[in-house]
Amino acid sequence: MKKFVKLATVAAAVNLITATSAWAAEPIVIGMQAPTTGSEATYGQDMFNAISLAAEEINADGGLLGGRQIELVSGDTACDPQQSVNAASRLASQEVVGVVGGYCSGATQPTLKIYGDADIPFVIVAANSTQLIPANPGNAFMINSTGADQAKTAVDFFAGQDIDKLAIVNQGDAYSQDLADLTRDDWEKAGHTISAFEVVNKGEQDFSALVNSIRNSGAEAVFWTAYYADGGLLIRQLRQRGFQGIIAVGDGSNSPQLFDIAGRAAEGVYAFSNPTADFLPAAKTFISNYETAYDTAPGPYAPLAYDGMQLMAWAINKAGSTDADAIIQALASADGEAWLAGPISFTPQHTLARSNFVVLEGQDGKWIRYQP
Amino acid sequence: MADSTPSTPPDEERRGNAVQRFYAAFESPPRRRALHLLLLAILVVTPWLASQYMTVILTNALLYVVLCLGLNVVVGYAGLLDLGYAAFFAVGAYTIGILTQQFGINFWAAIPFALAAAALAGVIIGGPTLRLRSDYLAIVTLGFGEIVRFSARNLEITGGASGLSHIPEPTLLGWYIDSAIDFYYVFAVLAVLAYIASQRLFDSRLGRAWRYVRHDEDAAEAMGINRVAVKLAAYITGAIFGALGGIFFAVNLGAISPESFSFQQSVLILLAVVLGGMGKIPGVILGAFIVVLGPELLRDFGTLRLLVFAVLLLLIMLFRPSGIWPEKRS
Repeated sequence: MKKFVKLATVAAAVNLITATSAWAAEPIVIGMQAPTTGSEATYGQDMFNAISLAAEEINADGGLLGGRQIELVSGDTACDPQQSVNAASRLASQEVVGVVGGYCSGATQPTLKIYGDADIPFVIVAANSTQLIPANPGNAFMINSTGADQAKTAVDFFAGQDIDKLAIVNQGDAYSQDLADLTRDDWEKAGHTISAFEVVNKGEQDFSALVNSIRNSGAEAVFWTAYYADGGLLIRQLRQRGFQGIIAVGDGSNSPQLFDIAGRAAEGVYAFSNPTADFLPAAKTFISNYETAYDTAPGPYAPLAYDGMQLMAWAINKAGSTDADAIIQALASADGEAWLAGPISFTPQHTLARSNFVVLEGQDGKWIRYQP
Repeated sequence: MADSTPSTPPDEERRGNAVQRFYAAFESPPRRRALHLLLLAILVVTPWLASQYMTVILTNALLYVVLCLGLNVVVGYAGLLDLGYAAFFAVGAYTIGILTQQFGINFWAAIPFALAAAALAGVIIGGPTLRLRSDYLAIVTLGFGEIVRFSARNLEITGGASGLSHIPEPTLLGWYIDSAIDFYYVFAVLAVLAYIASQRLFDSRLGRAWRYVRHDEDAAEAMGINRVAVKLAAYITGAIFGALGGIFFAVNLGAISPESFSFQQSVLILLAVVLGGMGKIPGVILGAFIVVLGPELLRDFGTLRLLVFAVLLLLIMLFRPSGIWPEKRS
């Protein structure tokens, strides 16, 4: 108990110090929302790092609205709807001017209502389920392409490889199921065949039954729409059992760690990817700044998180005040503003007006951009 | 505790240590009544004094009070270890979600159906497990919890992995229950009802039968207690508490997905019950508050918060091995 009291005192003291030093500068408080605990913590921490980097650069350049510094507060969603509601309410009661972040569509969805009620502009940088669109009360802006865009990129890719019979495997969670359904519909609409449409459970280790049914179905290509941890095992087992066709994975599996799990089997695997730093010509300085600051390479959502913070800052400056409605109007008026991941402008539903997906190919244990 | 040496004066033994004396201070009826009034007053005024964030996390804590008191009936009173309690929570939430959103049934009219569905789920899990004890029972209940979650994930009507969204907010006599404070009061009323029900059940004939079955099943049956009916009653009661929590959880969030009803959720509820003190109502309530508010109050620790919280839990169990406020052994 004594230990706890001591810890609590330290925490309170740290709070007090940051609070008092912040007062003098009259900062603009921006909330960051992402999972920093739980299974998706790596991605969330990566997003926080990138947002902080953007905020530091803006502050070093003289801040916003003629000299006001950005101050960041964080909200950990743990990729869980219930916890994200807590985090969002906490950010809302800390009177943030805007919120940047949003990873895990399922956990982001219930926060939309909270920010909508509190009238807080929200730039969603990673979450991209199409389910977020009808739930948006009008204050949220998605700068990542949605699952529908990825499905379209996937269908174009497979069609370009002269393939007719496609097997799709998902993990039954909102994200991978959404992508699998959209791809299946687009593929069938394009006049091709779905030879197998399978769901596996998260954490399964042995895919032999699945591999057999894929092989028996005569599939020429396999599309794995879920995450890399299980995807790596599936790729390995597919190749071990002699599957010769094309294997492609969705953007949840384009992590470099896929090569650690799948080993040599991942050579020649294709991945659809959000614009990650390595494949963005504009991100060279960003990568080196990020590596200096955090001693690690930026992850897949770092450029988008960086852009989200920059976009929010741009909108506050354009609005000329911290008034929520003015900022929302400024965000909606974005017309090709570009930082790392390409130009940003929005559809009337506040989604990104273009598809930002790229196709990658695994070669020598890393991803390179695929050029057809 | 029981093996005190004969040299200890009986009076000293009865008074116990400082913590026990502190808890014993709440045993007398007038003090208890005063405490009830005080807590009720705090419950009523809090949302007007606290920030919206505090209101939201307290709402969450009150939800867990309902769930934990429900699980306490199964685990604490009747001694049936249940590792799949989130299933009842899910049945309540999904039934209300499906009926109101997909069939357009009025929220209040749908509640009896949700409770009936949960009671049915209680019978389904209770029936086949009646002959099982301890570890084996735990395994079956764990399986049951996972079956419910996987069914929700794979059925068309439950919205698959994405779950159900846009569950309509309930109205009461033309008043929309939708703000954070509205839901705070809804859960406060539920928690008070759950508390009263738990208290009455504990003192009832059924409550005594549950404790008897927990202590010695065979002896209880020999004394004329209908083991089957009593155990089933425990499951059904627990299921109804869980479903009530789930019903209002669904309309509060407006969206539910299978991930909210994972094994971890069941463990968290069980953790709160064990931490607080199995079978002891104030202990269970305390446990629910600690489990929900702990990680929230530690948010300033950033990524370390769950680690700090885990260490705190370990310390509590180290110093209070039978829970913070355990049931008095008689």
